[in-house]
Amino acid sequence: MSQAGEVVEAISDSQLIYNLQAGSLDALGVLYDRHRGLVFRTAIAITGDSEAASDLLQDVFLRLHRFAGHIDPQRPVEPWLYRMTTNLSYTWVKRRQRWLRPLEDVADWLAGARKDTPAYQAEMDDSWRQVQQAVLALPLSHRGVVVLYYVNDLSLQEISEILDIPVGTVKSRLHYGRQALKQSLGLLAGEIMSELQYEFT
Amino acid sequence: MDKKSEVLLRKLLKNWVSRHRPPDNGRARLLWEAAHNSPSKNNTDLFLFRPQYRSHPSSSSSDWTLTLFTWINEYSFQVGLKARLI
Repeated sequence: MSQAGEVVEAISDSQLIYNLQAGSLDALGVLYDRHRGLVFRTAIAITGDSEAASDLLQDVFLRLHRFAGHIDPQRPVEPWLYRMTTNLSYTWVKRRQRWLRPLEDVADWLAGARKDTPAYQAEMDDSWRQVQQAVLALPLSHRGVVVLYYVNDLSLQEISEILDIPVGTVKSRLHYGRQALKQSLGLLAGEIMSELQYEFT
Repeated sequence: MDKKSEVLLRKLLKNWVSRHRPPDNGRARLLWEAAHNSPSKNNTDLFLFRPQYRSHPSSSSSDWTLTLFTWINEYSFQVGLKARLI
């Protein structure tokens, strides 16, 4: 790692928030590099839409920039990012369900033949599509808990604080979400599960 | 759920998510947008009624409709252009 890179690595999130509050865009860039992964994977897992996740990634960090003055630099920034990402993802999903879903259904129906093309099949590998469908079939409140727990490795207590719900509610939602996923993906267990469970890097 | 299937589920979900990557130009796009939208500048200017032309001295009583029409066209064009640039 270069010397400049080491210097940047040594700067704490707390100091970067102070710098951001002072108007430093460099600080915003470093925070983005450092935390974009957690924001993006949370957004993609809740929305199931890569394009939306990219837009939400931008939106979250723009809000971090805009509302930096309201953030306490002495506290970790990750919970703020998780909270903002889940809230914006929830809003995106609700808005899509209300307005865009019916339009997309019509568009899919009109372009029905497209689904038979090799390109489409390659784009949406059937096995992963089943995983995605299983996750997206969860109620939104359960989905958020499942994503924070399994994808982001957060504890029940951390999820409780991020979503501002009691730990008991987190446990309950996790239980039902887990059961639903197990049921949906149970069909995969003996057939294609092995090819999906390669080592996560 | 037993421990083995718990680990399996975690791995499965992580593998699914890891198939997607953040956009390469995300950082540049963010900094460009942040530079053009400073925290002190709020978005209310979009809602202010600021037509970009002067009223003619002998304007008629129907001018407000023309003004409104111009404002809608002007701002929808600007917002659309901005969205495309981003």
